[in-house]
Amino acid sequence: MRRDSLPGTVLPPGSTDGGSMTDMSVDIRSVSKWYGSLAAVDRFSLEARQGSIFGLLGPNGAGKTTLIRILTTLIRPTTGEAFIEGCSVLSEAKKVRALIGVVPQENNLDRYLTARENLELHARMHGMRSADYRRQVDALLELTGLANRQHEFPDTFSGGMQRRLVVARALVHRPRVLFLDEPTTGLDPQSRRAVWDYVRDLQREMTIFLTTHYMDEADALCDRIVIMDKGRILEDGSAGELKERFAHAHGYELQFRTGLDRYAELLGRLPFVTSLVRNGEALRVTLRGEEFLKPLLDAVGTDDLKGVCLREPSLEDVFIELTGREVRE
Amino acid sequence: MVKGAFPIFRRDMRVMRRSIFSELLAVVAYPLTLYFAFGIGMKGYIGTVEGVPYPVFIAPGLISMTAINAAFDESAWSMWFHRRVQRTIEEYRTAPITVYDIVIGKIFSGFMQGAIKGLAVAAVILLITSFRVEAANLASYLFFIVLGSMIFSCIGTICGTMVDKPENIGRIQAVVIVPLVFMSGIFFPLSSYPPALLPFIKLVPTTAIFAGARQSLLQGGVDGGYAANLLVTALVAFVAAVQTFNRKMAE
Ligand SMILES: Nc1ncnc2c1ncn2[C@@H]1O[C@H](COP(=O)(O)OP(=O)(O)OP(=O)(O)O)[C@@H](O)[C@H]1O
Ligand SMILES: [Mg+2]
Repeated sequence: MRRDSLPGTVLPPGSTDGGSMTDMSVDIRSVSKWYGSLAAVDRFSLEARQGSIFGLLGPNGAGKTTLIRILTTLIRPTTGEAFIEGCSVLSEAKKVRALIGVVPQENNLDRYLTARENLELHARMHGMRSADYRRQVDALLELTGLANRQHEFPDTFSGGMQRRLVVARALVHRPRVLFLDEPTTGLDPQSRRAVWDYVRDLQREMTIFLTTHYMDEADALCDRIVIMDKGRILEDGSAGELKERFAHAHGYELQFRTGLDRYAELLGRLPFVTSLVRNGEALRVTLRGEEFLKPLLDAVGTDDLKGVCLREPSLEDVFIELTGREVRE
Repeated sequence: MVKGAFPIFRRDMRVMRRSIFSELLAVVAYPLTLYFAFGIGMKGYIGTVEGVPYPVFIAPGLISMTAINAAFDESAWSMWFHRRVQRTIEEYRTAPITVYDIVIGKIFSGFMQGAIKGLAVAAVILLITSFRVEAANLASYLFFIVLGSMIFSCIGTICGTMVDKPENIGRIQAVVIVPLVFMSGIFFPLSSYPPALLPFIKLVPTTAIFAGARQSLLQGGVDGGYAANLLVTALVAFVAAVQTFNRKMAE
């Protein structure tokens, strides 16, 4: 989305006048959230720069949604504090809500309102008058390709259309920080790319904080990626940096003629194999170090081995190495 | 302070406008059935109660009953639906409005449903039966419908906020709301209660709604005791609803 493609006069209410004290858009300070004895988020600290696309990556249950719910003032952290554009999510929650747009993990559209009415209700809750929001709503419906179905109810939309409507709704009041919780889960490749395109265009106007399960999504979109699991940060950097840092991750792909299951079991028991993933007819393994290649080959023997190749580390490998598991869906 | 309640209230009114005509038949069917079954069916046996023909005796209560049931239903189900099914409450909660705005908007929506549906039943009863009232008594009668709808909208809001399983809303209705309504003298005069019990019965807010409303409509005037009872109950219910919602949202 181009800045000039939207009527750009409406400043979000509560936008800080003059320079803010910090250029950090999202500032998380040692936030924890406990559910009974489970730390969904565990002493999590992070700063995201204004105008960046920030990606939070983690397997199911890592604590991504919990963190987003804390930042969007839906739940209070057990301990710690967070700031959005300098406003505290605890003591200035209403101000924070004026600054943020939220796309939750589950679509929460109003099925008794038409697509357009969903956007209009959102605008009114943000204190906009119809003169202010009418063109903005038109532009967003156009942009998300929903203009010709704007008077229909979201029930009749496909999953991708509903998702786009939720994104459009989050943008009506021109937020300064946009939170996207798994924006493209369940979308077909084409719709995913469409969402990516909006997100990239939006970056010029706002900070984007997204979570995802998809490595390619994080790789394609994010300036900065944090990988988390069990409520904690495991690694932090750009996609390039993360791959670089894990260049030592000695990944090999072993192809077998037969007995894949047997070899998988065998490899799983070797102490120097740090991860093992099945990929079609091959097994992908990561070794603790180069020197373990020979013991690996000794262990599997050559009877059924068809080929071995070294693999360039992908973001996925980094993820598996860190969390010890595949991205779960 | 409650500016944020308006968009939510307007949303509910818009949705109600769309469905109200198709709903009205269902809304009117139940009280009218009771009116004919009891009012006409029992007329020969009962004759007059407290000096008025039996159909006239039960009509005001049927109108009030429709109003408070509609207010309770709307508030309870709407709150539950927006919270648990659509999760639109979360969308509201990420907008720069307060939880007070949300719950107050919802309470007023429930109240409007009750008031409008009660008036619809009143209009139908006036149109198709010989039931007649003094125009001068309508204002005081409205006072009772309004407060009754308000109280039951708050009670519905509390149920819709606390209850997570939908079947439990139906259970609360069966165990709490229906007995409160039917034992408050819609179909029989309060003088049927043993005298020892009567002072307590008169303290029950639904008694105040039904007996007070009937008295206003048929005889005119507002009973001070009933009015005070309802005003206090309404205030308590309102504060309780707002607090309950506030606490639930802070979980
Ligand atoms: N209301 C709750 N009560 C108890 N435990 C909860 C609650 N909400 C979340 N959790 C737990 O907190 C942990 C983190 O959940 P969260 O939803 O934040 O994960 P996530 O990273 O968003 O996962 P996913 O990728 O599946 O969306 C999970 O173990 C979850 O079971
Ligand atoms: Mg999640």
